[in-house]
Amino acid sequence: MSKVLKGTYNQEAVSGFDHRTAMEEAARCLLCHDAPCSQGCPAGTDPGKFIRSIRFRNPKGAAETIRENNILGASCARVCPYDNLCEEACSRCGIDRPIEIGKLQRYAMEQEKIFKMKILTPPSKKIKKHVACIGAGPASLAVAAELAKVGVKVTVFDNNPKAGGVLSYGITSARLPQKVVDQDVAAVKGLGVKFELSKEIGLNIDVNEMLEKKDYDAIFIGTGLWESKKLGIEGEQSLGVVSSIDFLRYAKDRKGVDFIKGQRVLVIGGGDVAMDCASAAVLSGAASTAIWYRRTIAEAPAQIAEIEYVTKLGVGITTGYAPTKITGSSDGLWVEFLGRDGKSTANVNVDCLVTAIGQVPRDHSNFLPGNIDAKGDIIAKKDGSTKIKGVFAAGDIVNGGKTVVEAVAGGKIAAAEILKYLGVEV
Amino acid sequence: MAVKKDLSIEYLGVKCENPFFLSSSPVGSNYEMVAKSFEEGWGGVFYKTIGIFVADECSPRFDQVNKEGLPWVGFKNMEQISDKPTELNFENMAKLKRDYPDKVMVSSIMGSTEDEWKELARMSEQAGADLIEGNFSCPQMTSHAMGSDVGTNVELLEKYSKAVTSVTKIPFIAKMTPNITSMEIAGRAAVKGGSKGLSATNTYKSITNIDLENLTAMPVVNGKSSISGYSGAAIKPISLRFVAQCLQDPELKNIPFSGIGGIETWRDALEFILLGCRNIQVTTAIMQYGYRIVEDMASGLSHWMDERGFDKIDQFVGAALPNIIPAEALDRDFRLLPKFDTNKCVGCGRCYVSCYDGAHQAINWNEKKRIPELDDDKCVGCHLCLNVCPVQNCIVPGDIIFKKGRKRHPIKAKQQYE
Ligand SMILES: Cc1cc2nc3c(=O)[nH]c(=O)nc-3n(C[C@H](O)[C@H](O)[C@H](O)COP(=O)(O)OP(=O)(O)OC[C@H]3O[C@@H](n4cnc5c(N)ncnc54)[C@H](O)[C@@H]3O)c2cc1C
Ligand SMILES: Cc1cc2nc3c(=O)[nH]c(=O)nc-3n(C[C@H](O)[C@H](O)[C@H](O)COP(=O)(O)O)c2cc1C
Ligand code: SF4
Ligand code: SF4
Repeated sequence: MSKVLKGTYNQEAVSGFDHRTAMEEAARCLLCHDAPCSQGCPAGTDPGKFIRSIRFRNPKGAAETIRENNILGASCARVCPYDNLCEEACSRCGIDRPIEIGKLQRYAMEQEKIFKMKILTPPSKKIKKHVACIGAGPASLAVAAELAKVGVKVTVFDNNPKAGGVLSYGITSARLPQKVVDQDVAAVKGLGVKFELSKEIGLNIDVNEMLEKKDYDAIFIGTGLWESKKLGIEGEQSLGVVSSIDFLRYAKDRKGVDFIKGQRVLVIGGGDVAMDCASAAVLSGAASTAIWYRRTIAEAPAQIAEIEYVTKLGVGITTGYAPTKITGSSDGLWVEFLGRDGKSTANVNVDCLVTAIGQVPRDHSNFLPGNIDAKGDIIAKKDGSTKIKGVFAAGDIVNGGKTVVEAVAGGKIAAAEILKYLGVEV
Repeated sequence: MAVKKDLSIEYLGVKCENPFFLSSSPVGSNYEMVAKSFEEGWGGVFYKTIGIFVADECSPRFDQVNKEGLPWVGFKNMEQISDKPTELNFENMAKLKRDYPDKVMVSSIMGSTEDEWKELARMSEQAGADLIEGNFSCPQMTSHAMGSDVGTNVELLEKYSKAVTSVTKIPFIAKMTPNITSMEIAGRAAVKGGSKGLSATNTYKSITNIDLENLTAMPVVNGKSSISGYSGAAIKPISLRFVAQCLQDPELKNIPFSGIGGIETWRDALEFILLGCRNIQVTTAIMQYGYRIVEDMASGLSHWMDERGFDKIDQFVGAALPNIIPAEALDRDFRLLPKFDTNKCVGCGRCYVSCYDGAHQAINWNEKKRIPELDDDKCVGCHLCLNVCPVQNCIVPGDIIFKKGRKRHPIKAKQQYE
């Protein structure tokens, strides 16, 4: 019998370091010159420097470095795909295995919390400019923090009651506890950023009006991808078929998916989202959970660590099969699959089918006409500017869906461009 | 924003932006090196010792001690004083003082006769040094007229201190050798000769390892080796002890002291300050890690001051010294029993093994549950178990038991272990 991981939806998947184990890990760090790990972080979190602080017994200094460079330092410590970022770049790979940078970052950010450190405070000098950020996800939070740091007034709007975007409504609590997201959001609030939550732009507030009325000197759009891609097959409307967005959100809101207890669950997809749906199902008490993916593991967009994690939870992954038809019946759903070879078939009986084959933006064409590409993403330059003067965008809505740290990086770049546009010297 | 405290402190009348200085050694031996260290945040430099004698060095000249994979627990060197021309060294010093007027320049010198000491003192003054340090402590000089042989000889210590202080008004610091039983006696002689400050320690005479290939010590110089100076983390405890003894000496207690020996972090530096040092010097940690370690020294000390509500280093210099008392004055009325957190315990049994084989057989091993069980009557409260337990905060101080016939009274115990 294989020993699979046990846990509940709200139980953290991995435990952190204490002073002693953090020091043991930091002592493995080679303290490289021109540290490659630091170059490996898109958001410039500077692990080379903060690990050195831990090593030289200055964990508070480590927390300062992280928070100053990456406003989502606590969340990134939990969810970044380190194995193809900082940890892949780590020189120690040439000896044995990389430093556990993510875990050291988590340790440092825990010190921030334990010692109630207020690392970022609003500057005494205020700048008479007001910027609106639409969406309260990683990209917007990064923009808001960078602007507020130099004294620009910022208001962040989000249609959800909680800030955080995918961090608060997508990624499962086992990987990213809500208190960690809240810690990051508190750092943004500590800078004096105003949040207008449960306010949907385009619904409660019109972005074109915002622009015309000149209430804001610039507008940043970081709205992310919040429409699930459809399978486009017969029977998709059947009872028991749910989208990943709805499924994960339900789990976050109610600390688990109560209706899944004892059910047979099938997840379709091969990205982090599919992995999160599968782990949420297992941890919520599903009787069986399986992932079916149309390509191979090597082609799957999910982090290998996440694939490992769901496998350890006992989730089976079948590759090379795409669904072709769903039929609802009295004994659940029947899902028909066709193999990549065009010949093999399967017909699987489950109670619940979660579709996690990708996310697309909601329709933005009404408020940014002429700036939307064929996929529905906002067209923006690398520096975050769009064709409309004073309107900037970054994060998933521009890059088509990548990672938290890349959204932060995009936000930092856009913020620099916004400051240039506003004529603010830094 | 990052917590930054005012770390400035006066040392022998000289204003220092912070107490962190390079100690005299290769880390401060030319213009570019010292300039770089200043840029990275060091407050001053004890420039590599200058003599009339110019050293002729051997190769290789270093070795290190490691334990269970941790390198550089201690470091051995066979270097003498500067191997650069005397004039060039003073030129560098003058240039550095000109380009970095706010950083503190200490000229470290070593003569072999009274005249040489005088000559070097005059040259230091001309170069614009803020302070002068007399190196009475290098343990591997190729002449007995110099180095630690002088530092253990009270007549020479007094004579050479007098020689320097007779030709210059610049405050003179005598750098002490730890290769001596009572540093206070040597310190008093230097002060009698006019030294205004003391610094300690220089390196400890050592043999770090015997090489099994060549059957000599390390490092191997053409099949042979010598006894020479040991520095780095391993010497900190002994250097702290020397500092405390000097500063508790009635004749030396007010001497502005500069602490040296195994300092790597702000914690190490703070420990020397808490014993009464107003200045901190570092070499080995810089050789191992680079000048950049000063960033975390400044930041870490700032955080500690912030936690404790201190605004200036002056507020806590020497704060620990009065609490270091003779063994006969310790409170011996009680046993402080260890407390075991069975939730944290990982069941390794190390406490049991150490208590049995190295202490008082006071821990019983519960084989079924794999946990230690303390026998309160047998336990003497030595805390060997607490020191071997691999899990943080698993064994912590617990009940206080007063010995038979002793009066109960309040006891202060340490609570936070790391
Ligand atoms: C399930 C899941 C798991 C993931 N796992 C990882 C991972 O492990 N590691 C990793 O690095 N990345 C992961 N990602 C990707 C990562 O979460 C995203 O790249 C990142 O959140 C993008 O940030 P963003 O700010 O661009 O958008 P989002 O996080 O999507 O935030 C956008 C916000 O804008 C709001 N919004 C949208 N339209 C409006 C409007 N009109 N008015 C007001 N508000 C609006 C949305 O409700 C949302 O709150 C995952 C994504 C998902 C979905
Ligand atoms: C390679 C090396 C060379 C040194 N040269 C000198 C010197 O020229 N003059 C001197 O006073 N001390 C010299 N020292 C001693 C250091 O200044 C210092 O007192 C000693 O190493 C202890 O401090 P540390 O543990 O921080 O290295 C030298 C030490 C080393 C390791
Ligand atoms: S690359 Fe690796 S070994 Fe080098 S500094 Fe970064 S974490 Fe340390
Ligand atoms: S040494 Fe610590 S962890 Fe090991 S058995 Fe004893 S109490 Fe438990």
